[in-house]
Amino acid sequence: MPAPRTKASCAAAVVLALSATLTGCGGGASASGEGKVTLRFTWWGNADRAARTNKAVEAFERAHPGIDVQTSYSTYESYKQKLATQAAGGDVPDLIQLDYRQISQYAGSDVMLDLEKQRKRLPTGKMDPALLKTGQVGGVQYALPMGVGTQALAYDKVAWREAGLKTPRAGWTWDDWAKSLRQLKRERGSYAMTDPGSMEDWFEIWLRGRGKQLYGKDGQTAFAAKDLAGFWAFTSKLRKEGLVSPASDTTQMAGSVEDSPMGREKAVAEFNWDAPSAGYEAMYKDRLALAPMPSGEDGTPGQYFKPSMLLGIAAGSSHPKQAAEFIDFLLNSDEAADILGVDRGTPVNSRQRQRVLPKVTGFQKQVAGLQTSLRGKLEDPPAAPPRGDNGLQSTFQRDYDHVSFDKATPLQVAEDFLTEARTELRP
Amino acid sequence: MANAPASTARATATTGAGEARKAAAGDAAARPGEPRRDRRSKRERQGAAWVFLSPWVLGASVLTLLPMAVSLYLSFTDYNLFDPPSWIGLRNYVQMFTEDPRLLRSVGNTLLYVLFAVPLQLALALTVAVALKSMRRGRNFYRSAFYAPSLLGASMSIALVWRAIFNDGGTVDNLLAGVGLDMGGWVNKPGWALLSVALLTVWQFGAPMVIFLAGLQQIPQDLYEAAAVDGAGRWRQFASITLPMLSPVLFFNLVLQTIQAFQVFTPAYAVSGGRGGPADSTLFYTLYLYDRGFTASHMGYASAMAWVLLVAIGIVTAVLFRTSRSWVFYANEEVR
Amino acid sequence: MSATTAAGRRRPVNWPRVALHAGALAVLVVLLYPLAWLVATSFKPADEVLASLALLPSRLATENYGTAAEGIEGVTLLQLFGNSLTISLGAVLGNVLSCSLAAYAFARLRFTMRGPLFAFMIATIMLPHHAVLIPQYIVFNQLGMVNTFWPMVLPKFLATDAFFVFLIVQFMRGLPRELDEAAKIDGCGPFGTFVRVVLPLTRPALITTAIFTFIWTWNDFFTQLIYLFEPDKYTLTLALRTFVDTSSQSAYGPMFAMSVFALLPIVLFFLAFQRLLVEGMANSGLKG
Repeated sequence: MPAPRTKASCAAAVVLALSATLTGCGGGASASGEGKVTLRFTWWGNADRAARTNKAVEAFERAHPGIDVQTSYSTYESYKQKLATQAAGGDVPDLIQLDYRQISQYAGSDVMLDLEKQRKRLPTGKMDPALLKTGQVGGVQYALPMGVGTQALAYDKVAWREAGLKTPRAGWTWDDWAKSLRQLKRERGSYAMTDPGSMEDWFEIWLRGRGKQLYGKDGQTAFAAKDLAGFWAFTSKLRKEGLVSPASDTTQMAGSVEDSPMGREKAVAEFNWDAPSAGYEAMYKDRLALAPMPSGEDGTPGQYFKPSMLLGIAAGSSHPKQAAEFIDFLLNSDEAADILGVDRGTPVNSRQRQRVLPKVTGFQKQVAGLQTSLRGKLEDPPAAPPRGDNGLQSTFQRDYDHVSFDKATPLQVAEDFLTEARTELRP
Repeated sequence: MANAPASTARATATTGAGEARKAAAGDAAARPGEPRRDRRSKRERQGAAWVFLSPWVLGASVLTLLPMAVSLYLSFTDYNLFDPPSWIGLRNYVQMFTEDPRLLRSVGNTLLYVLFAVPLQLALALTVAVALKSMRRGRNFYRSAFYAPSLLGASMSIALVWRAIFNDGGTVDNLLAGVGLDMGGWVNKPGWALLSVALLTVWQFGAPMVIFLAGLQQIPQDLYEAAAVDGAGRWRQFASITLPMLSPVLFFNLVLQTIQAFQVFTPAYAVSGGRGGPADSTLFYTLYLYDRGFTASHMGYASAMAWVLLVAIGIVTAVLFRTSRSWVFYANEEVR
Repeated sequence: MSATTAAGRRRPVNWPRVALHAGALAVLVVLLYPLAWLVATSFKPADEVLASLALLPSRLATENYGTAAEGIEGVTLLQLFGNSLTISLGAVLGNVLSCSLAAYAFARLRFTMRGPLFAFMIATIMLPHHAVLIPQYIVFNQLGMVNTFWPMVLPKFLATDAFFVFLIVQFMRGLPRELDEAAKIDGCGPFGTFVRVVLPLTRPALITTAIFTFIWTWNDFFTQLIYLFEPDKYTLTLALRTFVDTSSQSAYGPMFAMSVFALLPIVLFFLAFQRLLVEGMANSGLKG
């Protein structure tokens, strides 16, 4: 057997060597040999989006032989965790897809590149200015919207007709909505849709219908406890009447379209974003229809056009020029528009929109129809939610459980929520 | 495998025969040097130990100690994952204990879960392992079948299955309704959801079971034969041979399952869709930690939570180690 | 080898034994019910996967398997299997080697700081891994190992799984001290004793380590999610999750089918290795 002491000192040397490497080397650059540039592009979505995105990426690589785009995708929940870890680890991919709710977080911390620097490569003239603003934080454009979506009521046409209800039209109110639910309940004997009280998204629309906002310009909450308590009292009344789902069903909402009361055929309508509502199609086929969200009592619409997702460049990217070229290709070129269609929402570029919309079929046609019918009637989208919103959204849902399981009154819970919001939104 | 040298086998036989052993006071800590060992050999053993330990030393320092030190540092900072951390002293810790009611709820949930899941899972694993040991036919089949639930982990599909079975109108609900106990499901009730999550853990009792089986395998057969000659019945054999001989493994399972139960995350995350509902009833400590750290981006706060948990588990484990001196028997410790 | 010699003598009907089997089978029915549910769900048509509360599908929908067999966009099922296997087998090799080395030192060798180091090792399991996720990511990023299999495999070669070190320690401490003395008389140093005496006798623990490492690595979603970037490095466990996206349409049926696919290798691995678990003692030469 060799002398143990030698072996021990060997091991110590390895430890030293490794710690030296650890402290010594900096972050690696992503440029590969032969002058070829590699861009890393990460996004979330499903299999269909993956197929379309890869096709678009191939088309881009054909047009730009010097650029290699490495894509990565996962589902939204996984994506959030992965991207946050990458950001914390100083390893943000060159091109990142962001949700409206993430942008303040990423832009506010110098993770994102100010797109002004690549302005020449990124023409935005054909994009709706109000929508472009959704990619701004503090007046700086950090990301561009990749598509447009809006909130909607997805419902089973047949069930509504059988209950003797008319097709809901833009301008119908929350009161009309409640009356319809009552009618449906009378006809069906059971609740018609998920209790909307647990989602901050639907509260926002209710609030906007009353001329208020979720967040003010200062990044603080812009509503009072009694506003939230009012919304929750309203939904609680419906719940107790049996018009919307009971607490035990509401609490199980995991987020996916299929895994909701309507997706499980326990209900006949659901609030959702327009494009993802396609998930109900497997169940409802051509019975599936879309209607605008209810508006305030005076007809003020609460819903708005929202960027379905945004695309930006990492501040630490070694190839911002090429990354900008890629964004330009995805958002502005005819070729990409033909491949991507309305997968990431209706194109923001008006020329592409006109190119793509006439070609859509099936459920996407309904989405297009809804958006067209609302264009020009809605108020501007709110500024991107402040960075604490991510945590608050989950708190909102948790807190509502305490209302719906009758553990506390709406006002008590609303006050608790605002207390937490003040801590979360601390500048 | 290499055959053990002859004298080694003899040594085992002599140990095996000594049956009326008292459990020696055994402790993980080193005991002061043994008599009759010359210094050269001692130094050689020291060196040898470090050679054996070298991969561990490397891994523990770079991949464990370093990250742990970083997280300890972060626990004293305000760190949102995106901006550089800023030092705030003990504020995270103070906030935890004074102004976070949800955290206290998560502590309660976790304790309830530990007290329920750990004893039940270990009892089930031990019972099945001992029963399997005494079976002559179909042992392979049974062992595999009992382990089958543990193959899955708490994946999304098993979470959906769990929800289907324990939901309103699900199998469990129907069975209970059949005997007049219509409860309308478990996963969706604040008072019962925790039980359904704990049952998911208990259901996956395969890991401790296999460890028990491996431990049973190590008990020399001649101990039983000698006891049978002495007229000891099944229970006597179990109490005076199986339990003491299995005690190191039982201790391992107890410590590890307790530690893991305190950190319960995946089953609750999967079954409740990440929120720990309904009404925070399955919001376990690490689930809330994850929510604070990654959803709300308060990594400093989450790190403080992690270190408080470490201390809490440390205390529980230390108590377990302390009690182990009176009931865990190690064959490699000398009888005193 | 029989566990109870007394039972063998009574010939005719052995009622306790029959009761034992009947009890075991009854428990099994309960235990395997959720698994049956999982498999049955993978054969349900799209509109029943989540909506139906019945165990059996109304018709046998094999299309879920068709979709799952195509893998995910740009990656074949075979490649997903390959990636999962590479990572899991690498981890098994690493854990068995490194954990048994460290365990031997802790269990049977004496050295300064043994107590504190052992306590530290146990303490490393007590910190929730979410708290060290980011620092670890930084380390692997600095080492240039992100988007490779190393972050899943390298730690195993460095005995960072304290669970298994502790497990093997417990088994080694169960071996009589006289073994070492005897091995010494036979002229073995610490290494000889380790390889020729202790390792063979710890086989049940090593097999257990192999089984658990394989299964747990295979199913470990978070680590794989964080470290693997390109889809062609994705594993089955990652692919499984791409079927359910809350922001668009999901494919629950194929996810269940994929779960069944993902289950097969672990079942085979378990079946292959659990046999060795039984043989552990019989072959070790201890009884002779």
